[in-house]
Amino acid sequence: MKNKILSGKNILVTGTARGMGRQMVETFAEMSANVFAHARKFTEQHADYCKEIADKFDTKIIPVYFELTNADEIKRGISEIRATKIPVNGLVNNAGITFNALFQMTTMEDVRNQFEVNFFAPFLLTQYIVKLMIRNKSGSIVNISSSAALDGNSGKSAYGSSKAALLCMTRCLSEELAANGIRANAICPGVTETDMVATMPDYAVNLQLESTFLGKFGKVSDIANVAAFLLSDYSSYITGQFIRVDGGVTEYGKRQS
Amino acid sequence: MTNLEKYDKAFIDAFNVAAEDLPNLKYQDIAAWDSVGHMSLMANIEDSFDIMMEVEDIMDFSSYAHGKEILKANYEVDIEG
Repeated sequence: MKNKILSGKNILVTGTARGMGRQMVETFAEMSANVFAHARKFTEQHADYCKEIADKFDTKIIPVYFELTNADEIKRGISEIRATKIPVNGLVNNAGITFNALFQMTTMEDVRNQFEVNFFAPFLLTQYIVKLMIRNKSGSIVNISSSAALDGNSGKSAYGSSKAALLCMTRCLSEELAANGIRANAICPGVTETDMVATMPDYAVNLQLESTFLGKFGKVSDIANVAAFLLSDYSSYITGQFIRVDGGVTEYGKRQS
Repeated sequence: MTNLEKYDKAFIDAFNVAAEDLPNLKYQDIAAWDSVGHMSLMANIEDSFDIMMEVEDIMDFSSYAHGKEILKANYEVDIEG
């Protein structure tokens, strides 16, 4: 049984259909949070998962479905959340897409796609959610960035730049929203065992493993646990920080991955 | 509660100002209506009238009087009606 450090918290997590987001729903519920579990579109599988987790941990898991690349859809989704009259205490901007290509092989459409999902969508969504948090004079925002945003790896010019923009937003929010009792932090995962890893070439996967102090990839639960800490009151004096969760990557690994 | 009463209450709750001072009140006229206070006011107004304001309107909301015009023009909220 995990510590119920999120008891009384209501948290919106984007991108919960799979990977880290899906794990966060379970981890946060196990820690007694109620979760607004966002996904792009309704599926029986997602709805069943939400119900299963809610029953298992006796919390509320409320599925919300909207397309993050459509401003009207985001607005509609926020309206649904507002209509529940449940205050939002935490937001995890988790949804994202990855992309690997050398700079000279990256089209502007590729760049725009990365920024659309990885930066513009969380930017707009956060604007709406902050207005809900201001009502309570408290809140915690956790942005899922990437170690690529800090390291600037080969092949990550588009992806890493979009995630670096998210880091800048995080730091700006932490200062602007402090007066309203709202904290903002970012997690920079290294290579984590998600579907996204499947998009990496084998040589990069092997190189990353060899370059990690702990000699293994992170699990989605490793990321979810840190997010839970940042959402909880145990991190009440932490804001504007970028936390690497990468198993300790060597300088060589940072350059080559 | 009338729309005018709701509107006034949003300001009074956000800034702790007297009702008689509201008609001429403008952004940054008082210490409480700074950028932080502005967002609290917007949250109060959204709650009071069950609306979601656009960023452009939040930026344009420069006074008590102009706020009424914005709510009427863009959100079908008639404060005086």
